Amino acid sequence: MLSTEKLLVGYGSRAVLGEVDLSAEEGSFLCILGRNGAGKSTLMRTLAGLQPALGGRALLQGEDVAAMRAATRARRIAVVLTEREFSPALRVEDVVSLGRQPYTRWQGSLTAEDTRIVDESLEKVAAEEFRGRYFDDLSDGERQRVMIARAIAQTSSLLVLDEITAFLDLPGRVEVMALLRRHARETGAIVLLSSHDLELSLQLADQVWLVKDGTLRSGTPESLIDRGLVAGAFDTADVHYSAAERRFQLTDAD
Amino acid sequence: MAARAYTSNGALFVALTSMALFTLAYGQISLSLGETFAALTGSGSDTLARQIVLDIRLPRVVAAILAGGALGMAGVLMQALFRNPVADAWSLGLLAGGQFGVALAVTAAAFVGPAAVSFLTFFAGPSITLAAAAGVALTAVFMLALGRRVGAITLLVVGLMLGFTVQGLTSVLLHFAARAGGRVYGGWSDASFAGVETSTLPWLAAPILLGTGAAVATAKPLTSLLLGETYAKSLGVDVTTLRRVALAATVLLVAPVVAFCGPVSFVGLIAPHFARSLAGTARILPLLPLAALGGALLALTGDAIVHLPWEQHFLHLNAILAIAGAPVVILILIFSPAVRGWR
Repeated sequence: MLSTEKLLVGYGSRAVLGEVDLSAEEGSFLCILGRNGAGKSTLMRTLAGLQPALGGRALLQGEDVAAMRAATRARRIAVVLTEREFSPALRVEDVVSLGRQPYTRWQGSLTAEDTRIVDESLEKVAAEEFRGRYFDDLSDGERQRVMIARAIAQTSSLLVLDEITAFLDLPGRVEVMALLRRHARETGAIVLLSSHDLELSLQLADQVWLVKDGTLRSGTPESLIDRGLVAGAFDTADVHYSAAERRFQLTDAD
Repeated sequence: MAARAYTSNGALFVALTSMALFTLAYGQISLSLGETFAALTGSGSDTLARQIVLDIRLPRVVAAILAGGALGMAGVLMQALFRNPVADAWSLGLLAGGQFGVALAVTAAAFVGPAAVSFLTFFAGPSITLAAAAGVALTAVFMLALGRRVGAITLLVVGLMLGFTVQGLTSVLLHFAARAGGRVYGGWSDASFAGVETSTLPWLAAPILLGTGAAVATAKPLTSLLLGETYAKSLGVDVTTLRRVALAATVLLVAPVVAFCGPVSFVGLIAPHFARSLAGTARILPLLPLAALGGALLALTGDAIVHLPWEQHFLHLNAILAIAGAPVVILILIFSPAVRGWR
């Protein structure tokens, strides 16, 4: 289980979000939604232990994420980010194998078990056919799938994915989100995805965390929609969220 | 994969050994393989052959192998550390920095007086290695900081310009040092393995061995740094410590080379690419022996060509290395996606 206690996140002395108290069950697929700059990425980085919290704690299976040893954390939490990193001369296979790094000895060589997990992870994201290609030569969609395979190979109990669908087209996004949801169901891992894809997230997520004005509301998509919170977070002068039709509409139809 | 690595390492080792034997036997005075072996093992009675092989050629061959191997491994480390396929001790100005360090030390000693010069001469091994190490380390730290702000190509150009600047400064410094009576390291500004003597070999070998140990120890976390800092961190790597250790390893590998052999160009830049194409992977650990053997082979071959029994001796080691290396770099610049896509 993932939970937070009065978690306050931000940079330096500037808090952007908090205090957050929430929890997520094993095997759930969670989407974080909110406008740009609402603090989604900061929250996710803090939950992943990549930056310290300004206050409060994040607990994974009862253990403080910030206090974990780096090696332990690497076995429990896997991360996929938006940034397009160049990875000179790394092949797809190398990238996915890196997911096993927290488990290997000092040489970093893979056991038969590690190799099996790498193969399975590649298969899960349908990337076996380009396992020998250079990572830098892949399309954006292929690249994200490989990074997801790497995260899956890390066999962590929490997967944190920050706006990874941004570069993908609609079928690609649906595919990736369905895949992550399936992964959560099958392995019992908690999958935490931030996305700009509101309608898709509201359809697929078990739970939605809605970030707005420094506060976070959580609930099932239905409850958030019914309470008018989705509309409250995203409506502008030009568009509003229609709870009845479950989609955005132009406010002024004339 | 493992079989492929063994075959490549084995083939390179055989090639390197053959080239070493060739260089030991062939030159202005040619010896047969039998005579060379006899001289090496001390079983022969021909003192001239022994002198040629053991005192003149062997230190040069060992120096070429050590320096080429060290530069090759340092290239692997630097290309990962900078995440830049054209990074190496020479191209990013580390060799120039080391040269400048040595030039400064020599000049300072020359101005202090004859006592300092004779002190420096007496402790030539450790003192010029230290001076070179300081120069290499400072340049490396500067280039790492710069590398976070500019792209791969800009960094390469800055590194090369740094090389030119330092070459000029070194030449000026040594000019004044010579005037002040410090002719200690006069002719030293071009790369050559011929200046290394048997007595200085340990000063070349010891830091390189230490550096190799550090390189091997840092290989696993350095592999994950290829994905970028955040991913490395998420894989449990302490990035700050990793940077320091990899940097220390680079300095240990590079400083003795620049101190005793001068600015050996291109070896460290192309050996890692050669190693990657043989290994079929970018994982650091399998690359280290391949890049070391490949670098040693390249350096030794360059040296062998320079020391063929030419009528005249105008060939420079760096000229040979440039002919082999520069086209490879041009190909990398044109075709490597990492370079093409970078900002």
